[in-house]
Amino acid sequence: MQAHSKKRVCYYYDSDIGNYYYGQGHPMKPHRIRMTHNLLLNYGLYRKMEIYRPHKATAEEMTKFHSDEYVRFLRSIRPDNMSDYNKQMQRFNVGEDCPVFDGLYEFCQLSAGGSVAAAVKLNKQASEICINWGGGLHHAKKSEASGFCYVNDIVLGILELLKYHQRVLYIDIDVHHGDGVEEAFYTTDRVMTVSFHKYGEYFPGTGDLRDIGAGKGKYYAVNIPLRDGMDDESYESIFVPIISKVMETFQPSAVVLQCGADSLTGDRLGCFNLTVRGHGKCVEFVKKYGMPFLMVGGGGYTIRNVSRCWTYETSVALGTEIANELPYNDYFEYFGPDFKLHISPSNMANQNTPEYLEKIKTRLFENLRMLPHAPGVQVQAIPEDAVREESDDDDKANPDERLTQAALDKRIVPDNEFSDSEDEGEGGRRNDRSFKGRKRPRLDTKTPADANEEKLKSEGDGAKPEGKTEEKDEKVASSDDAKKDAAPNP
Amino acid sequence: MVLAERNPDNVRNGKRSRGPSPNGHASEDSSIEEEADERIRVGRDYQAIAPDLIPLQDRKAELTVLQDRALLVWSPTVDIPDSKLDDYISLAKERYGYNGEQALGMLFWHKHDLERAILDLSNFTPFPDEWSVEDKVLFEQAFQFHGKSFHRIRQMLPDKSIASLVKYYYSWKKTRTRTSLMDRQARKLASHREDGSEGGSEVGSNTDSDSEEKKWTIHRGIRRRSGSPPRTTQVEEAGSMKKDGESSGKGSCSNCSVACSQTHSTPKGVMCSTCFNHWTRTGNVRPTMGPAKPRDRQFHVLLRHKRKPPRGMFVNHDDLIAMASGPAGLGEQMLRTMDREIVSLKRQVQSNKQAISAKRSRTSNGIDEYRPSDSTNRINARWTNDEMMLAVQGMRKYGKDFQAISEMIGTKTEAHLRNFFTNQRRRFNLDAVLKEFEAENGPIIENESKDDKMDVDIVEPSSPPMNSAPVSVQASLSNIKSIHKTAVSATK
Repeated sequence: MQAHSKKRVCYYYDSDIGNYYYGQGHPMKPHRIRMTHNLLLNYGLYRKMEIYRPHKATAEEMTKFHSDEYVRFLRSIRPDNMSDYNKQMQRFNVGEDCPVFDGLYEFCQLSAGGSVAAAVKLNKQASEICINWGGGLHHAKKSEASGFCYVNDIVLGILELLKYHQRVLYIDIDVHHGDGVEEAFYTTDRVMTVSFHKYGEYFPGTGDLRDIGAGKGKYYAVNIPLRDGMDDESYESIFVPIISKVMETFQPSAVVLQCGADSLTGDRLGCFNLTVRGHGKCVEFVKKYGMPFLMVGGGGYTIRNVSRCWTYETSVALGTEIANELPYNDYFEYFGPDFKLHISPSNMANQNTPEYLEKIKTRLFENLRMLPHAPGVQVQAIPEDAVREESDDDDKANPDERLTQAALDKRIVPDNEFSDSEDEGEGGRRNDRSFKGRKRPRLDTKTPADANEEKLKSEGDGAKPEGKTEEKDEKVASSDDAKKDAAPNP
Repeated sequence: MVLAERNPDNVRNGKRSRGPSPNGHASEDSSIEEEADERIRVGRDYQAIAPDLIPLQDRKAELTVLQDRALLVWSPTVDIPDSKLDDYISLAKERYGYNGEQALGMLFWHKHDLERAILDLSNFTPFPDEWSVEDKVLFEQAFQFHGKSFHRIRQMLPDKSIASLVKYYYSWKKTRTRTSLMDRQARKLASHREDGSEGGSEVGSNTDSDSEEKKWTIHRGIRRRSGSPPRTTQVEEAGSMKKDGESSGKGSCSNCSVACSQTHSTPKGVMCSTCFNHWTRTGNVRPTMGPAKPRDRQFHVLLRHKRKPPRGMFVNHDDLIAMASGPAGLGEQMLRTMDREIVSLKRQVQSNKQAISAKRSRTSNGIDEYRPSDSTNRINARWTNDEMMLAVQGMRKYGKDFQAISEMIGTKTEAHLRNFFTNQRRRFNLDAVLKEFEAENGPIIENESKDDKMDVDIVEPSSPPMNSAPVSVQASLSNIKSIHKTAVSATK
């Protein structure tokens, strides 16, 4: 085990956050954040950190990612005026999984405020590790709520980090795919998203091994689809090599770790079999790299275990060992009958065979080898960005990239063997099927005519996108070169 | 839009119902729509726009603009040792009703000046719990009606915010109040339920995961047996009582087992004043419903089973009398004090447990590291200068207690020291040293008639200094045991 090193840790918490209530029977309970906080206080960890009460994120801050309309909607919707917003509620996917509850907007403000403030803190180099257990709401999309998440505090935090960091790594150990964050940075090479999640007939449905990013962001989305029953050992056996490889090839200068605790054993919604220790090992491993480190919460629906887990992970961040016996605290009775910090795994079967994990690993390593050599990116990317940034905004520029993407996809898909073997039926093939019904151009199986049409469209846009196409081709070539270069490396 | 056509069972609910998704059975149309939703989408409407990297030279300017929009409420300090901080927090908690966070906040406000913070504690005592007894009762009633629909509960408690209701709910749901025998009995009677169906009395609260968590609610001692309410049984039990020949501890009544300050010895055993009065007045032993005592098992198993108050519940008559006769509010105050006491005991129990496990984990790897290491501390007959100095100083301190000195030096046996004393008596003027010792500690009582006899240099393999380390470990082990005992007794 590596030695615990002492770091300066900042912790963001608002005492109101535990008072928001999603609704009767809803598994998401902000109260777990207060339980964690109370445990930290009684373990004496509180006094070892800088404690901040985050500001409430403003609508302006939220629109750095989210659409104005969506934020305006979140700000105005209340349980008592819901009937006036029927249409918008459907459009923004608010109502069912993401109910309208009392203080919804404030809750989003606090959660986002914490992550943004933490990112700013890291940018100022005033702290090495920042923790916001109220954040980590990784499903929220640009103009859509999803999976109990309304405002994506992670994306907002990463956007803040990107001001000072050329490359930011996002790691997601929630049992659900971190689709909101992945989507937000799907086409950029400045953020790599790595998500470990249960895949196959499971919310949110995304996160296939073959989803690797698009356009400039191709190969910058890494998905590790897993099956039920992941235990500590298997998790470590896949987490450590992949993160090591990612660190080596991507060379980020800041990391964001989403510590969703629904990957723990006995979670109300999750189906993994991790213990608090195994979950915390991920934190420990990432911490070891010693770069600016933002830890956020996320899922977690058996609240006593969530607070155990996050308490332990706070202690890992601090490099302090804490006793297995829980101290007396305001919510002591929740932790019966053993009143211990650590939990034991269940005897559920682990459906992830070593062979399966090995296959995934090999495949992802192949993808990572496609990355241009990281230091090179740094040198090139800075002047490039200014030009690229604008064209990225430009929707019409994208079809070209998509086309390339689709073409490349075709080349890759056939040699993908594992999902074939695992979900021969509907599951694994589903993506191919969905190509047919697709309305969006990128995912269409394109006829040459379609492609031409699009090309025409983009040509109409002027010279810039065209130039970009060429650039793109160059880039593919150069990344192939990089592959060759990288190949001899161990 | 795509979402408009979603059927209620669609995959987005996978979070709730994690069974196989119903997709396969859905119509072709809708499944396509749904799957469209399950892809990462690309386009202006979906991606974030990454900000430009701020060049190094511009960062300083930016930093001055960027304020910490978060409010610092505590920062760690190395000046105050942990134990002092603990004392301060417990003072703030117990004397002034702060919580840990508020106490540290006060200290931080005073820039970690402990004394000034302590002085200031009394000026800013936090508002006491704004929940009155009436509020609590109302909440419980409302909860029974509406379950966790806090909106509806709020209609009965209009002066409380939803936030306050939620907060109270979470602190209440697992507490003694919620799980206590009395309350559940009351709830049970109120809902006219049959015996044994207690689970059904909480309307609306069984609908979610709480039911899974609920199984722990009666884990601590207070466990209700099936049967009639404990209060109503004033049935004569005198017959059996008379045979009670048990020895009761001082300060507790042999009849009703309560702890009390005044006891009266009677032919029936030691009695509390209430039982004593009853006995002198009526000549009968007062019927009671105290905790289980070893009685005639054959006759009264059933009867007692019904009457037994919950395990761990003891009734103190002195307190009952004080509560009944004292001014209004006294009872509540007493209960609150007792509650606080319980909490601090529990706190103590947990911290004791932590101490025990820390010690256990330290000794679990063996105690070898606590043994003196062989290389430096091997017993040998050779005297180094340091050892001789130590021996002389040892004699100054312990006189002729050679064993003590040998333990102190660690590399010499008692026999070595006796030798040393005879051989070096002159050289170090040891008699003068001993005189100094005697002047301070009184004359040395000689056990052996002649020291000079011990000329032979015998070194036993199991020499006393080697034992000293295990002895101290054993002492700490027995220390652990005693802590454990207190922990156990405190739990009771």
